[in-house]
Amino acid sequence: MSFQIPIGPQHPALKEPISIRLTVEGEVIKDADLRLGYNHRGVEKLAEEKSWIQNIYLCERICGICSHSHATCFVQGAERLLEIVPPRRGVYLRYLVSELERVHSHLLWLGVAGHEAGFDTFFMYTWRDREVVMDLLEMISGNRVHYAINTLGGVRRDIDETLRQKILDGLAVLKARSEYYFKIGAAEPTFVARLAGVGRLTKQQAMDLCATGPTAKASGLALDVRKNDPHDFYDEVEFVVPTADTCDVLGRTVVRIKELFESYKICEQILQKLPDGPVAVKAPRKAKPGEVVSRYEAPRGENIHYIVANGTEKPERLKVRAPTLGNYAATIEMLRHGYIADVPLIFAAIDPCICCAERAVDLLDARTGEERTLRFSDLRRMANDRARTLSPKRNVEWPF
Amino acid sequence: MNDEQKIEKLKTIVAPEAVAHPAPRRIFVTVAAADLTAVLGRIKTELDCWFLSTISGVDKGDCFELLYHLGDTTGSIHVRTRIPKADPRVPSICGVIPGAVLYEREIQEMFGITVENIPDPRPLMMADDWPAGNYPLRKDWKFDRPAEVIPGGKK
Repeated sequence: MSFQIPIGPQHPALKEPISIRLTVEGEVIKDADLRLGYNHRGVEKLAEEKSWIQNIYLCERICGICSHSHATCFVQGAERLLEIVPPRRGVYLRYLVSELERVHSHLLWLGVAGHEAGFDTFFMYTWRDREVVMDLLEMISGNRVHYAINTLGGVRRDIDETLRQKILDGLAVLKARSEYYFKIGAAEPTFVARLAGVGRLTKQQAMDLCATGPTAKASGLALDVRKNDPHDFYDEVEFVVPTADTCDVLGRTVVRIKELFESYKICEQILQKLPDGPVAVKAPRKAKPGEVVSRYEAPRGENIHYIVANGTEKPERLKVRAPTLGNYAATIEMLRHGYIADVPLIFAAIDPCICCAERAVDLLDARTGEERTLRFSDLRRMANDRARTLSPKRNVEWPF
Repeated sequence: MNDEQKIEKLKTIVAPEAVAHPAPRRIFVTVAAADLTAVLGRIKTELDCWFLSTISGVDKGDCFELLYHLGDTTGSIHVRTRIPKADPRVPSICGVIPGAVLYEREIQEMFGITVENIPDPRPLMMADDWPAGNYPLRKDWKFDRPAEVIPGGKK
Protein backbone atom coordinates (compact mmCIF):
# COMPACT_ATOMS: atom_id res chain seq x y z
CA MET A 1 0.00 0.00 0.00
CA SER A 2 1.44 3.34 -0.94
CA PHE A 3 0.87 6.81 0.48
CA GLN A 4 1.59 10.26 -0.82
CA ILE A 5 3.49 12.56 1.50
CA PRO A 6 3.87 16.24 0.68
CA ILE A 7 7.03 17.96 1.91
CA GLY A 8 6.97 21.70 1.53
CA PRO A 9 6.55 24.32 0.20
CA GLN A 10 6.97 25.30 3.84
CA HIS A 11 8.71 22.67 5.91
CA PRO A 12 11.27 22.70 8.75
CA ALA A 13 13.67 20.52 6.76
CA LEU A 14 13.74 22.93 3.85
CA LYS A 15 15.54 26.23 3.97
CA GLU A 16 13.71 27.59 0.96
CA PRO A 17 10.27 27.02 -0.52
CA ILE A 18 9.91 24.04 -2.82
CA SER A 19 7.29 21.33 -2.90
CA ILE A 20 8.33 17.67 -2.99
CA ARG A 21 5.62 15.03 -3.26
CA LEU A 22 6.76 11.58 -2.22
CA THR A 23 5.00 8.29 -2.88
CA VAL A 24 6.06 5.97 -0.09
CA GLU A 25 5.56 2.34 0.78
CA GLY A 26 6.40 2.05 4.45
CA GLU A 27 9.68 3.90 4.88
CA VAL A 28 10.81 3.47 1.29
CA ILE A 29 10.30 6.21 -1.29
CA LYS A 30 8.86 4.75 -4.49
CA ASP A 31 8.50 7.94 -6.47
CA ALA A 32 9.16 11.64 -6.08
CA ASP A 33 7.80 14.69 -7.82
CA LEU A 34 8.86 18.33 -7.65
CA ARG A 35 6.82 21.49 -7.99
CA LEU A 36 8.75 24.72 -8.39
CA GLY A 37 7.88 28.36 -8.66
CA TYR A 38 7.21 29.36 -5.06
CA ASN A 39 10.00 31.88 -5.39
CA HIS A 40 9.63 32.76 -9.04
CA ARG A 41 10.28 36.46 -9.55
CA GLY A 42 10.28 36.83 -13.31
CA VAL A 43 13.89 37.96 -13.53
CA GLU A 44 14.20 37.03 -17.23
CA LYS A 45 11.25 39.22 -18.18
CA LEU A 46 12.45 42.04 -15.94
CA ALA A 47 15.92 41.94 -17.50
CA GLU A 48 14.44 42.93 -20.87
CA GLU A 49 13.40 46.27 -19.37
CA LYS A 50 16.71 47.15 -17.73
CA SER A 51 19.91 48.56 -19.16
CA TRP A 52 23.13 46.56 -19.39
CA ILE A 53 24.58 48.11 -16.25
CA GLN A 54 21.35 47.72 -14.25
CA ASN A 55 21.18 44.06 -15.21
CA ILE A 56 24.45 43.31 -13.41
CA TYR A 57 22.78 44.21 -10.14
CA LEU A 58 19.60 42.38 -11.09
CA CYS A 59 21.59 39.21 -11.87
CA GLU A 60 23.44 39.56 -8.61
CA ARG A 61 20.09 39.28 -6.84
CA ILE A 62 19.12 36.00 -8.47
CA CYS A 63 20.87 34.21 -5.62
CA GLY A 64 22.00 35.20 -2.15
CA ILE A 65 24.78 32.64 -1.77
CA CYS A 66 26.36 32.59 -5.21
CA SER A 67 25.48 36.18 -6.11
CA HIS A 68 28.84 36.76 -7.77
CA SER A 69 28.35 33.73 -10.06
CA HIS A 70 25.34 35.16 -11.83
CA ALA A 71 26.80 38.66 -12.03
CA THR A 72 30.08 37.33 -13.45
CA CYS A 73 28.31 35.07 -15.92
CA PHE A 74 26.27 38.01 -17.17
CA VAL A 75 29.23 40.38 -17.29
CA GLN A 76 31.40 37.87 -19.22
CA GLY A 77 28.75 37.69 -21.90
CA ALA A 78 27.82 41.37 -21.91
CA GLU A 79 31.48 42.37 -22.34
CA ARG A 80 31.67 40.23 -25.48
CA LEU A 81 28.54 41.92 -26.84
CA LEU A 82 29.74 45.42 -25.95
CA GLU A 83 33.14 44.56 -27.51
CA ILE A 84 35.25 45.59 -24.57
CA VAL A 85 38.18 43.75 -23.01
CA PRO A 86 38.64 44.24 -19.27
CA PRO A 87 42.22 44.92 -18.07
CA ARG A 88 44.11 41.93 -16.68
CA ARG A 89 44.17 43.23 -13.11
CA GLY A 90 40.40 43.61 -13.21
CA VAL A 91 39.97 40.07 -14.53
CA TYR A 92 42.24 38.64 -11.83
CA LEU A 93 40.37 40.44 -9.06
CA ARG A 94 37.02 39.32 -10.48
CA TYR A 95 38.00 35.67 -10.33
CA LEU A 96 39.66 36.12 -6.95
CA VAL A 97 36.23 37.05 -5.61
CA SER A 98 34.79 34.07 -7.54
CA GLU A 99 37.07 31.61 -5.82
CA LEU A 100 36.59 33.16 -2.38
CA GLU A 101 32.85 32.91 -2.98
CA ARG A 102 33.23 29.23 -3.81
CA VAL A 103 35.11 28.78 -0.52
CA HIS A 104 32.36 30.50 1.47
CA SER A 105 29.63 28.56 -0.33
CA HIS A 106 31.28 25.17 0.20
CA LEU A 107 31.96 25.91 3.88
CA LEU A 108 28.31 26.87 4.23
CA TRP A 109 27.27 23.61 2.55
CA LEU A 110 29.57 21.52 4.75
CA GLY A 111 27.88 23.03 7.78
CA VAL A 112 24.43 22.31 6.40
CA ALA A 113 25.42 18.72 5.55
CA GLY A 114 26.71 18.27 9.11
CA HIS A 115 23.49 19.73 10.47
CA GLU A 116 21.27 17.49 8.33
CA ALA A 117 23.31 14.47 9.38
CA GLY A 118 22.81 15.40 13.04
CA PHE A 119 26.43 16.51 13.52
CA ASP A 120 25.92 20.06 14.74
CA THR A 121 29.46 20.50 16.05
CA PHE A 122 30.66 20.31 12.46
CA PHE A 123 28.10 22.95 11.54
CA MET A 124 29.37 25.28 14.29
CA TYR A 125 33.02 24.75 13.26
CA THR A 126 32.56 25.33 9.53
CA TRP A 127 30.33 28.35 10.01
CA ARG A 128 32.81 29.91 12.41
CA ASP A 129 35.59 29.50 9.86
CA ARG A 130 33.33 30.75 7.13
CA GLU A 131 33.47 34.12 8.90
CA VAL A 132 37.16 34.34 7.93
CA VAL A 133 36.36 34.24 4.23
CA MET A 134 33.28 36.44 4.67
CA ASP A 135 35.50 39.06 6.32
CA LEU A 136 37.98 38.81 3.45
CA LEU A 137 35.18 39.34 0.94
CA GLU A 138 33.95 42.31 2.93
CA MET A 139 37.43 43.82 2.97
CA ILE A 140 37.76 43.38 -0.81
CA SER A 141 34.30 44.48 -1.90
CA GLY A 142 32.75 46.28 1.07
CA ASN A 143 29.87 43.79 1.23
CA ARG A 144 29.31 40.39 2.76
CA VAL A 145 26.62 38.95 0.47
CA HIS A 146 26.07 40.97 -2.69
CA TYR A 147 29.64 41.97 -3.41
CA ALA A 148 28.73 44.31 -6.27
CA ILE A 149 32.33 44.20 -7.42
CA ASN A 150 31.64 43.51 -11.11
CA THR A 151 31.08 46.23 -13.62
CA LEU A 152 31.06 46.23 -17.39
CA GLY A 153 34.75 46.34 -18.31
CA GLY A 154 36.33 45.19 -15.07
CA VAL A 155 35.78 45.51 -11.35
CA ARG A 156 34.85 48.46 -9.17
CA ARG A 157 37.51 48.21 -6.46
CA ASP A 158 41.23 47.59 -6.28
CA ILE A 159 43.23 45.92 -3.51
CA ASP A 160 46.49 47.19 -1.99
CA GLU A 161 49.52 45.40 -0.57
CA THR A 162 48.18 45.30 3.03
CA LEU A 163 44.94 43.69 1.91
CA ARG A 164 46.84 41.24 -0.29
CA GLN A 165 48.82 40.12 2.74
CA LYS A 166 45.64 39.85 4.82
CA ILE A 167 44.01 37.61 2.21
CA LEU A 168 47.09 35.36 2.17
CA ASP A 169 47.00 35.14 5.99
CA GLY A 170 43.29 34.32 5.91
CA LEU A 171 43.85 31.62 3.29
CA ALA A 172 46.54 30.01 5.49
CA VAL A 173 44.05 29.78 8.39
CA LEU A 174 41.34 28.33 6.14
CA LYS A 175 43.73 25.80 4.63
CA ALA A 176 44.70 24.45 8.04
CA ARG A 177 41.05 24.21 9.08
CA SER A 178 40.01 22.53 5.83
CA GLU A 179 42.60 19.81 6.34
CA TYR A 180 40.88 19.05 9.62
CA TYR A 181 37.49 18.95 7.86
CA PHE A 182 38.86 16.59 5.28
CA LYS A 183 39.94 14.28 8.08
CA ILE A 184 36.44 14.44 9.59
CA GLY A 185 34.53 14.29 6.31
CA ALA A 186 36.39 11.29 4.95
CA ALA A 187 37.38 9.38 8.10
CA GLU A 188 35.14 10.15 11.11
CA PRO A 189 33.27 6.79 11.41
CA THR A 190 29.82 8.02 12.50
CA PHE A 191 29.72 10.81 9.91
CA VAL A 192 30.90 8.50 7.12
CA ALA A 193 28.41 5.83 8.15
CA ARG A 194 25.58 8.36 7.90
CA LEU A 195 26.59 9.64 4.45
CA ALA A 196 27.87 6.54 2.66
CA GLY A 197 25.43 4.88 0.28
CA VAL A 198 22.78 7.59 0.67
CA GLY A 199 21.34 9.19 -2.47
CA ARG A 200 22.97 6.98 -5.06
CA LEU A 201 23.33 8.33 -8.58
CA THR A 202 25.28 6.12 -10.95
CA LYS A 203 27.58 7.53 -13.61
CA GLN A 204 25.15 6.54 -16.38
CA GLN A 205 22.22 8.19 -14.58
CA ALA A 206 24.25 11.35 -13.99
CA MET A 207 25.02 11.46 -17.72
CA ASP A 208 21.43 10.82 -18.82
CA LEU A 209 19.92 13.35 -16.41
CA CYS A 210 22.57 16.01 -17.11
CA ALA A 211 23.67 16.42 -13.51
CA THR A 212 26.19 19.20 -12.96
CA GLY A 213 28.71 20.46 -10.44
CA PRO A 214 29.72 18.43 -7.38
CA THR A 215 26.75 16.09 -7.99
CA ALA A 216 28.22 15.02 -11.34
CA LYS A 217 31.79 15.05 -10.02
CA ALA A 218 30.85 12.67 -7.20
CA SER A 219 29.51 10.27 -9.86
CA GLY A 220 32.87 10.21 -11.58
CA LEU A 221 32.25 12.83 -14.30
CA ALA A 222 35.00 15.45 -14.49
CA LEU A 223 32.70 18.19 -15.74
CA ASP A 224 33.93 21.65 -14.85
CA VAL A 225 33.43 24.74 -16.98
CA ARG A 226 36.65 26.21 -15.63
CA LYS A 227 38.59 23.39 -17.33
CA ASN A 228 36.29 22.60 -20.27
CA ASP A 229 35.47 26.12 -21.33
CA PRO A 230 37.96 28.49 -19.68
CA HIS A 231 36.78 32.06 -20.09
CA ASP A 232 40.00 34.08 -20.63
CA PHE A 233 41.34 33.37 -17.17
CA TYR A 234 41.19 29.80 -15.92
CA ASP A 235 43.72 28.51 -18.46
CA GLU A 236 46.33 30.72 -16.79
CA VAL A 237 46.16 29.02 -13.39
CA GLU A 238 46.86 25.45 -12.38
CA PHE A 239 44.24 23.33 -10.65
CA VAL A 240 42.68 19.91 -10.97
CA VAL A 241 39.01 18.89 -11.07
CA PRO A 242 38.41 16.58 -8.11
CA THR A 243 36.10 13.61 -8.67
CA ALA A 244 34.84 10.71 -6.59
CA ASP A 245 33.38 7.40 -7.69
CA THR A 246 31.27 6.54 -4.64
CA CYS A 247 28.19 8.14 -6.31
CA ASP A 248 26.63 9.08 -2.94
CA VAL A 249 26.43 11.95 -0.45
CA LEU A 250 29.81 11.01 1.00
CA GLY A 251 31.39 11.48 -2.42
CA ARG A 252 29.72 14.88 -2.77
CA THR A 253 31.15 15.91 0.61
CA VAL A 254 34.65 14.76 -0.29
CA VAL A 255 34.49 16.49 -3.70
CA ARG A 256 33.48 19.77 -2.10
CA ILE A 257 36.27 19.64 0.50
CA LYS A 258 38.78 18.85 -2.25
CA GLU A 259 37.41 21.76 -4.29
CA LEU A 260 38.15 24.01 -1.31
CA PHE A 261 41.85 23.15 -1.59
CA GLU A 262 41.80 23.83 -5.35
CA SER A 263 40.20 27.21 -4.70
CA TYR A 264 42.89 28.11 -2.14
CA LYS A 265 45.49 27.14 -4.72
CA ILE A 266 43.86 29.33 -7.38
CA CYS A 267 43.56 32.30 -4.96
CA GLU A 268 47.25 32.04 -4.06
CA GLN A 269 48.24 31.94 -7.73
CA ILE A 270 46.07 35.00 -8.43
CA LEU A 271 47.68 36.95 -5.59
CA GLN A 272 51.19 35.93 -6.67
CA LYS A 273 50.67 36.78 -10.34
CA LEU A 274 48.41 39.84 -9.84
CA PRO A 275 49.32 42.19 -12.74
CA ASP A 276 49.66 45.95 -12.33
CA GLY A 277 47.49 48.49 -14.05
CA PRO A 278 43.92 49.74 -14.05
CA VAL A 279 41.03 47.56 -12.88
CA ALA A 280 38.36 48.70 -15.35
CA VAL A 281 37.78 50.31 -18.72
CA LYS A 282 34.86 52.46 -19.76
CA ALA A 283 31.99 50.59 -21.36
CA PRO A 284 29.70 51.87 -24.12
CA ARG A 285 25.98 52.13 -23.39
CA LYS A 286 24.71 50.27 -26.43
CA ALA A 287 25.58 46.84 -27.78
CA LYS A 288 25.49 45.87 -31.45
CA PRO A 289 22.92 43.22 -32.38
CA GLY A 290 24.27 39.79 -31.60
CA GLU A 291 24.12 36.84 -29.30
CA VAL A 292 26.45 35.25 -26.82
CA VAL A 293 26.50 32.17 -24.61
CA SER A 294 28.30 32.66 -21.33
CA ARG A 295 29.20 29.73 -19.10
CA TYR A 296 30.58 29.85 -15.59
CA GLU A 297 31.31 27.24 -12.95
CA ALA A 298 29.30 28.34 -9.92
CA PRO A 299 29.84 26.55 -6.58
CA ARG A 300 26.81 24.34 -7.40
CA GLY A 301 27.68 23.56 -11.00
CA GLU A 302 27.44 25.03 -14.45
CA ASN A 303 25.73 28.37 -14.74
CA ILE A 304 24.74 29.39 -18.25
CA HIS A 305 23.45 32.72 -19.56
CA TYR A 306 22.28 33.19 -23.13
CA ILE A 307 22.14 36.87 -24.02
CA VAL A 308 20.72 38.44 -27.18
CA ALA A 309 21.40 42.10 -27.97
CA ASN A 310 19.28 44.14 -30.38
CA GLY A 311 21.34 47.32 -30.77
CA THR A 312 19.72 49.27 -27.95
CA GLU A 313 20.90 49.83 -24.41
CA LYS A 314 18.79 46.92 -23.15
CA PRO A 315 19.13 43.21 -23.89
CA GLU A 316 16.54 41.58 -26.14
CA ARG A 317 16.60 38.38 -24.13
CA LEU A 318 18.46 37.07 -21.13
CA LYS A 319 18.11 33.36 -20.44
CA VAL A 320 19.44 32.19 -17.10
CA ARG A 321 19.88 28.56 -16.12
CA ALA A 322 21.06 28.19 -12.53
CA PRO A 323 22.85 24.94 -11.63
CA THR A 324 20.19 23.83 -9.14
CA LEU A 325 17.57 23.50 -11.90
CA GLY A 326 19.96 21.27 -13.79
CA ASN A 327 20.27 18.99 -10.77
CA TYR A 328 16.57 18.56 -10.02
CA ALA A 329 16.06 15.70 -12.47
CA ALA A 330 18.96 13.87 -10.83
CA THR A 331 17.56 14.60 -7.35
CA ILE A 332 14.32 12.79 -8.15
CA GLU A 333 16.36 9.75 -9.19
CA MET A 334 18.43 9.98 -5.99
CA LEU A 335 15.33 10.10 -3.80
CA ARG A 336 13.83 7.01 -5.45
CA HIS A 337 14.35 3.83 -3.41
CA GLY A 338 15.76 5.83 -0.50
CA TYR A 339 14.31 6.31 2.96
CA ILE A 340 12.14 9.18 4.17
CA ALA A 341 14.72 10.01 6.84
CA ASP A 342 17.31 10.61 4.12
CA VAL A 343 15.26 13.22 2.25
CA PRO A 344 16.81 16.30 3.92
CA LEU A 345 20.31 14.89 3.45
CA ILE A 346 19.82 13.95 -0.21
CA PHE A 347 18.14 17.21 -0.98
CA ALA A 348 20.82 19.21 0.82
CA ALA A 349 23.51 17.27 -1.06
CA ILE A 350 22.79 19.06 -4.33
CA ASP A 351 23.15 22.30 -2.34
CA PRO A 352 19.78 23.63 -3.50
CA CYS A 353 19.67 27.37 -3.92
CA ILE A 354 16.02 27.99 -4.63
CA CYS A 355 16.46 31.65 -3.90
CA CYS A 356 16.93 33.65 -0.81
CA ALA A 357 16.24 36.94 0.91
CA GLU A 358 13.16 36.79 3.03
CA ARG A 359 12.46 40.20 4.43
CA ALA A 360 10.33 39.02 7.37
CA VAL A 361 11.07 36.94 10.46
CA ASP A 362 8.71 34.70 12.42
CA LEU A 363 8.75 35.29 16.14
CA LEU A 364 7.15 33.16 18.79
CA ASP A 365 5.86 35.26 21.64
CA ALA A 366 6.91 33.25 24.71
CA ARG A 367 4.14 34.62 26.92
CA THR A 368 1.16 34.20 24.62
CA GLY A 369 2.50 31.42 22.36
CA GLU A 370 1.25 33.44 19.41
CA GLU A 371 3.25 33.38 16.21
CA ARG A 372 3.68 36.70 14.51
CA THR A 373 5.45 37.82 11.40
CA LEU A 374 7.38 40.99 12.00
CA ARG A 375 9.30 43.25 9.71
CA PHE A 376 12.79 44.26 10.69
CA SER A 377 11.64 47.87 11.04
CA ASP A 378 9.03 46.79 13.62
CA LEU A 379 11.63 44.81 15.50
CA ARG A 380 13.94 47.78 15.60
CA ARG A 381 11.09 50.00 16.83
CA MET A 382 10.22 47.49 19.56
CA ALA A 383 13.82 47.30 20.69
CA ASN A 384 14.08 51.08 20.79
CA ASP A 385 10.83 51.40 22.76
CA ARG A 386 12.05 48.87 25.24
CA ALA A 387 15.37 50.66 25.66
CA ARG A 388 13.56 53.96 26.26
CA THR A 389 11.30 52.60 29.02
CA LEU A 390 14.06 50.75 30.87
CA SER A 391 15.38 52.37 34.00
CA PRO A 392 18.86 53.78 33.40
CA LYS A 393 21.45 51.21 34.37
CA ARG A 394 23.93 53.66 35.85
CA ASN A 395 21.59 54.27 38.79
CA VAL A 396 21.54 50.62 39.75
CA GLU A 397 23.77 49.80 42.65
CA TRP A 398 25.94 46.76 42.30
CA PRO A 399 25.15 44.61 45.36
CA PHE A 400 28.72 43.54 46.07
CA MET B 1 38.26 16.90 -30.04
CA ASN B 2 38.94 20.50 -31.08
CA ASP B 3 36.55 22.90 -32.81
CA GLU B 4 37.77 22.08 -36.35
CA GLN B 5 37.29 18.34 -35.89
CA LYS B 6 33.82 18.94 -34.45
CA ILE B 7 32.85 21.12 -37.40
CA GLU B 8 34.11 18.46 -39.82
CA LYS B 9 31.90 15.87 -38.15
CA LEU B 10 28.92 18.22 -37.87
CA LYS B 11 29.09 18.90 -41.61
CA THR B 12 28.43 15.20 -42.21
CA ILE B 13 25.34 15.37 -39.99
CA VAL B 14 23.76 18.63 -41.22
CA ALA B 15 24.17 20.81 -44.30
CA PRO B 16 27.61 22.56 -44.29
CA GLU B 17 26.06 26.05 -44.47
CA ALA B 18 24.03 25.35 -41.30
CA VAL B 19 27.18 25.28 -39.14
CA ALA B 20 28.47 28.57 -37.72
CA HIS B 21 31.54 29.15 -35.56
CA PRO B 22 31.31 32.71 -34.16
CA ALA B 23 33.72 32.33 -31.25
CA PRO B 24 36.21 29.78 -29.91
CA ARG B 25 34.48 26.78 -28.29
CA ARG B 26 31.07 27.97 -29.56
CA ILE B 27 29.52 26.15 -32.53
CA PHE B 28 25.99 26.96 -33.69
CA VAL B 29 24.01 24.50 -35.82
CA THR B 30 20.67 25.35 -37.42
CA VAL B 31 18.22 22.51 -38.08
CA ALA B 32 14.54 22.16 -38.94
CA ALA B 33 12.28 21.25 -36.04
CA ALA B 34 11.40 17.92 -37.68
CA ASP B 35 15.06 16.81 -37.77
CA LEU B 36 15.80 17.93 -34.20
CA THR B 37 15.67 14.56 -32.45
CA ALA B 38 17.67 12.80 -35.15
CA VAL B 39 20.40 15.48 -35.22
CA LEU B 40 20.70 15.63 -31.42
CA GLY B 41 20.89 11.84 -31.31
CA ARG B 42 23.71 11.78 -33.84
CA ILE B 43 25.58 14.60 -32.07
CA LYS B 44 25.26 12.67 -28.83
CA THR B 45 26.64 9.40 -30.21
CA GLU B 46 29.09 10.62 -32.85
CA LEU B 47 30.52 13.66 -31.06
CA ASP B 48 30.15 12.27 -27.52
CA CYS B 49 28.29 15.46 -26.54
CA TRP B 50 25.67 14.23 -24.08
CA PHE B 51 25.36 17.09 -21.59
CA LEU B 52 22.39 19.39 -22.17
CA SER B 53 22.91 22.67 -20.33
CA THR B 54 19.49 24.10 -21.03
CA ILE B 55 16.98 25.04 -23.71
CA SER B 56 16.60 28.76 -24.45
CA GLY B 57 13.56 30.19 -26.13
CA VAL B 58 13.53 33.56 -27.88
CA ASP B 59 10.47 35.34 -29.25
CA LYS B 60 11.58 36.63 -32.67
CA GLY B 61 8.32 38.35 -33.57
CA ASP B 62 7.01 36.06 -36.33
CA CYS B 63 8.61 32.88 -35.01
CA PHE B 64 10.07 31.30 -31.92
CA GLU B 65 13.69 30.34 -31.83
CA LEU B 66 14.79 27.47 -29.61
CA LEU B 67 18.41 26.80 -28.73
CA TYR B 68 19.54 23.49 -27.29
CA HIS B 69 22.80 24.22 -25.48
CA LEU B 70 24.98 21.13 -25.41
CA GLY B 71 28.29 21.03 -23.60
CA ASP B 72 31.20 18.64 -23.50
CA THR B 73 34.73 18.64 -22.15
CA THR B 74 36.14 20.88 -24.89
CA GLY B 75 33.45 23.47 -25.57
CA SER B 76 29.82 23.69 -26.49
CA ILE B 77 27.48 23.08 -29.43
CA HIS B 78 24.25 25.05 -29.75
CA VAL B 79 21.50 23.56 -31.89
CA ARG B 80 19.10 26.21 -33.16
CA THR B 81 15.64 25.60 -34.56
CA ARG B 82 12.86 27.99 -35.59
CA ILE B 83 9.18 27.24 -35.29
CA PRO B 84 6.27 29.34 -36.63
CA LYS B 85 4.30 31.33 -34.09
CA ALA B 86 0.99 30.31 -35.70
CA ASP B 87 1.56 26.63 -34.98
CA PRO B 88 4.20 26.35 -32.23
CA ARG B 89 5.08 22.66 -32.06
CA VAL B 90 8.37 20.98 -31.37
CA PRO B 91 9.19 17.29 -30.82
CA SER B 92 10.36 16.23 -27.37
CA ILE B 93 14.02 15.26 -27.10
CA CYS B 94 13.58 13.31 -23.86
CA GLY B 95 14.07 10.06 -25.80
CA VAL B 96 17.62 11.18 -26.57
CA ILE B 97 18.42 13.20 -23.45
CA PRO B 98 16.14 12.26 -20.52
CA GLY B 99 17.38 15.22 -18.44
CA ALA B 100 15.64 17.66 -20.82
CA VAL B 101 12.19 17.20 -19.33
CA LEU B 102 12.31 20.13 -16.88
CA TYR B 103 13.53 22.50 -19.57
CA GLU B 104 10.80 21.36 -21.95
CA ARG B 105 8.17 21.88 -19.29
CA GLU B 106 9.57 25.39 -18.74
CA ILE B 107 9.40 26.14 -22.49
CA GLN B 108 5.78 24.97 -22.61
CA GLU B 109 4.78 27.30 -19.81
CA MET B 110 6.78 30.35 -20.68
CA PHE B 111 6.17 30.44 -24.46
CA GLY B 112 3.09 28.29 -24.99
CA ILE B 113 5.00 25.97 -27.30
CA THR B 114 3.54 22.45 -27.49
CA VAL B 115 6.24 19.86 -26.91
CA GLU B 116 4.99 16.70 -28.61
CA ASN B 117 5.42 13.37 -26.80
CA ILE B 118 6.75 15.01 -23.64
CA PRO B 119 6.78 12.37 -20.87
CA ASP B 120 5.48 14.81 -18.25
CA PRO B 121 3.36 17.72 -19.55
CA ARG B 122 2.23 19.17 -16.19
CA PRO B 123 2.93 22.81 -15.30
CA LEU B 124 6.16 23.39 -13.41
CA MET B 125 6.64 26.99 -12.31
CA MET B 126 3.43 28.93 -12.60
CA ALA B 127 0.84 29.17 -9.86
CA ASP B 128 -2.07 26.72 -9.96
CA ASP B 129 -4.52 29.56 -10.63
CA TRP B 130 -2.43 31.09 -13.44
CA PRO B 131 -4.87 32.07 -16.20
CA ALA B 132 -4.72 29.90 -19.32
CA GLY B 133 -3.26 31.40 -22.48
CA ASN B 134 -0.84 33.72 -20.64
CA TYR B 135 2.73 33.05 -21.68
CA PRO B 136 4.99 35.54 -19.90
CA LEU B 137 8.11 35.37 -22.04
CA ARG B 138 6.29 36.19 -25.26
CA LYS B 139 7.11 39.74 -26.30
CA ASP B 140 3.45 40.76 -26.62
CA TRP B 141 2.70 39.71 -23.03
CA LYS B 142 2.67 42.71 -20.73
CA PHE B 143 2.18 42.62 -17.02
CA ASP B 144 -0.34 45.08 -15.65
CA ARG B 145 0.17 45.43 -11.97
CA PRO B 146 -3.26 45.53 -10.29
CA ALA B 147 -3.90 48.72 -8.35
CA GLU B 148 -3.06 48.28 -4.70
CA VAL B 149 -6.11 48.23 -2.46
CA ILE B 150 -5.53 48.74 1.22
CA PRO B 151 -8.33 47.12 3.22
CA GLY B 152 -10.05 49.83 5.21
CA GLY B 153 -7.89 52.48 3.52
CA LYS B 154 -8.89 55.75 1.88
CA LYS B 155 -11.26 55.52 -1.06
